[in-house]
Amino acid sequence: MTHLTLRSALCLWLFAFGLSGAARTSPTFTVEALPSPPSKFKTQQIDGMDVLPDGRLAVCLPSGEVFFYQPADQSWALFAEGLHNPLGLIALATNELIIAQRPELTRVRDTDGDGRADDFEVVTDQFGMSGNYHEFNFTPVSDGKGGYYFGLGTGSQGDGVRAIVRGAFNDRARAGRMHASTPFRGCIMHHSPEGVTRPFAFGVRTPNGLGTDLKGNLFVTDNQGDWVGSSKLFHIQDGRFYGHAASLVWKDGFEGVPIETPVETLAKMRSRACVVFPHGSMANSPTKVMAIPPEAKVGPFTGQLLVGEMNKARIMRVMLERVGGELQGACVPFFDGSPLRTGCNRMAWAPDGSLYVGHTKHSWAGNRGINHIRWNGEIPFEIQNMEITEDGFHFTFTKPIDVETAKKPETWPFERYYYRYHQSYGSKPFDLVKVPVESVRISEDAKEVTIKLEELRAWHVHQTVVQNLKAADGTPLTNRYIAYTVNRLLSDTPDEPLQTSE
Amino acid sequence: MLLAMAAMALAETSENAPFPDKDQLAKGKALYEAAGSCVACHMPNGKGQPGSIPPLAGSEWLESTDRSIAISLRGLAGPIKVNGKRYYSAMPPQLLFNDAELASILTYVNFAWGNQGEVVDASRVARARKELPPNVYTPASITKAFPFQEKALSKRNGPYKPDYDDQLTHVTEPVVYRTFMPGASPAAFAVALPGNHYYCWDAGESRLRYVWSKGGFIKGNQRHWSSNGKPVAQFDGLPYYTARSSLLKPEHAELLAKTDHRAPIYDTTQVDDFPFDIAGVDAKPRFLGVRLIDGFPQFRVRFGAHEIRETIRVDKRDGLATGVVRAFEVEPPAALTLSLTPNALAQLSASVGSIDEAGLLKLDAKQAAAFQVTITEKPDAPVPTSTEGGNR
Repeated sequence: MTHLTLRSALCLWLFAFGLSGAARTSPTFTVEALPSPPSKFKTQQIDGMDVLPDGRLAVCLPSGEVFFYQPADQSWALFAEGLHNPLGLIALATNELIIAQRPELTRVRDTDGDGRADDFEVVTDQFGMSGNYHEFNFTPVSDGKGGYYFGLGTGSQGDGVRAIVRGAFNDRARAGRMHASTPFRGCIMHHSPEGVTRPFAFGVRTPNGLGTDLKGNLFVTDNQGDWVGSSKLFHIQDGRFYGHAASLVWKDGFEGVPIETPVETLAKMRSRACVVFPHGSMANSPTKVMAIPPEAKVGPFTGQLLVGEMNKARIMRVMLERVGGELQGACVPFFDGSPLRTGCNRMAWAPDGSLYVGHTKHSWAGNRGINHIRWNGEIPFEIQNMEITEDGFHFTFTKPIDVETAKKPETWPFERYYYRYHQSYGSKPFDLVKVPVESVRISEDAKEVTIKLEELRAWHVHQTVVQNLKAADGTPLTNRYIAYTVNRLLSDTPDEPLQTSE
Repeated sequence: MLLAMAAMALAETSENAPFPDKDQLAKGKALYEAAGSCVACHMPNGKGQPGSIPPLAGSEWLESTDRSIAISLRGLAGPIKVNGKRYYSAMPPQLLFNDAELASILTYVNFAWGNQGEVVDASRVARARKELPPNVYTPASITKAFPFQEKALSKRNGPYKPDYDDQLTHVTEPVVYRTFMPGASPAAFAVALPGNHYYCWDAGESRLRYVWSKGGFIKGNQRHWSSNGKPVAQFDGLPYYTARSSLLKPEHAELLAKTDHRAPIYDTTQVDDFPFDIAGVDAKPRFLGVRLIDGFPQFRVRFGAHEIRETIRVDKRDGLATGVVRAFEVEPPAALTLSLTPNALAQLSASVGSIDEAGLLKLDAKQAAAFQVTITEKPDAPVPTSTEGGNR
């Protein structure tokens, strides 16, 4: 949930879409609107969704209402109401949900079998609320062991704090654009099955979208803003700090005032994003993270991640690999040019492997309603994977490609840059240069392309918009813009630059 | 006196508008203030009633006298915005007044409370009565027939789409919202009970904060959750019961609904206003959640080894809702002291034991297992000044 800053986005935008026009809809997917839940407040915005064990879809709305959708007869039933800005739910059973609402993580159950929730049990409320509007409680995910992770948004300078605040007020984290003046704002939280709630990781700004990959790694998106040069995907690990300074007051051993701490000190503490979403061209406000399981039916992308986006009618596909001990990788638009609307806030897999997308808006860019994306089983022509090599990148395509086009270096116009780490809002790209392609090698089955670049620079985003590439059968490449966040190289990675200035 | 001053101000500043005739003003004032007349809804001070009846004092709708005449003669059905604020009630056609009487009333309104309008002539009313279409105006049709002069005015005045809460006037089953409430921590409940008594229960301090009945349930909650989440709920009544808050002082009253403080008045770790005292328990209370019993929330609080449950329903006498009954259960039961907060607006009573002058209810373990406290709103309660409302 960030503002579009044109200045920083313009050159990337031109690069991404100025060369050969926008993406076309892949005919292999259909996007259909679901009937909307019968909210008595008439809202159609979706802030949480999951599929119940019996195949019904559970959604929560900003109004605090929770509905179940029965696909068999396209009917909706009210399950619960009165929640406070619920922003995510986990369906544990047909009568039991875990819901993140502003003041709590809450277990919502129907105990008498009448289909309506009657028990709202606090799972945890062991965190603070200053009453600032921006202190959202985001998207709980299971830790796989009976516990939960959830994300606590920071407060905004767009308003102050309430007269009575919950939890110990900490003035050291009150200053700055986004603040963390009550406990554990700006942290990714863990609640253990034993009942212990603690800040698990630090330094997020607006973590609107936790999710896990198929191996159980935890990820969260963050939105461009102060300390966040461009929106990001973090691989969340215990005790780490991801860059937004305010929440450091909740980290044991940190004694200072976050915004008075030298940025070099903070830069040395922070863990890098595994993917940076280029601002404007790729994403402005990324949302939910969701893995593509084997039973999903969207094409040959098992194990990759889907990431929603508010400002564009777009869901991104993220492919990661472990390099130098850490995850890093690429993001590429998915479903672009389809009737999918903006505000892609939440996602869930239907039992048949199709995809539900819930849209929201609140007061930001976005939309409303639920879309249902179905695949017709034909392999879409997409970049299946992008991996780093010693001196460039290795692409895998879902179909054999047109070799004549692919072998031309001008098909692969690469550029690279980085976003600065600093307190001010966002960052323009720095060290933005075109990177010439030295050679192109194509595999015998014409599905893989190895690009050797004149220079591959660590700690820089590398991106390309593949030009005029068709599959051997003539299908044009649907999504041609891809950005790989090179943190580490396969060998001889230079020391991490602070990138706090040019 | 006030009228004379308003008239003098007008005479000095507005050359075109004729000076209102003193007799006409007096006649208009008398008609306006007659029992069952305009005053019943729009109030003697012309300020109307928040949320339902729009003000006449300072109303930007009065810029067009033709519009005022039309609304008076034909009525206005449906909710409107006046000076940027929303009012839900409809205005019936005023058929009891003849042309001269209505002209006097409108002239009075045009010059009362600092308004600076024009004198209304009876013939103008007569012409309108004859020529206006016969139907009751809607917010859309009145603003189409008599558009506002400036764009800025038309943005602040005109139709609006009422939301669910605007229409929630007669509560027949409990309504439970979690939202931002004034005078509570950000983890608050707002509950409307059948019989139209309302309360705020604060999960951040595990206790009831206040109870009210007049002026309706919270307004504009939809603006809280459908926007970025900034607006704090509003309601019009004054609580007839407000639990003591040791760190709040009367001068804080104006700050409690605001969201733009640099620092809070207090945080919940600084207070010990939990109303239960059980020997040997020095733990902080911990909110466990709510269960719905016939739709009524039962609040559950962990206090040391005890679980305290509270369910609040309306107290009915002769079919009228006269207050609330707070039903408590303590498990395991223990001798306890419950601190209530006596005030002039309510009568406190308990099903067991007796409440002393300081509001303390001391119970033995057997009594404490299940007991009730009734808070009865005093029907003849004095109208409090704005600072007497405690922490609202």
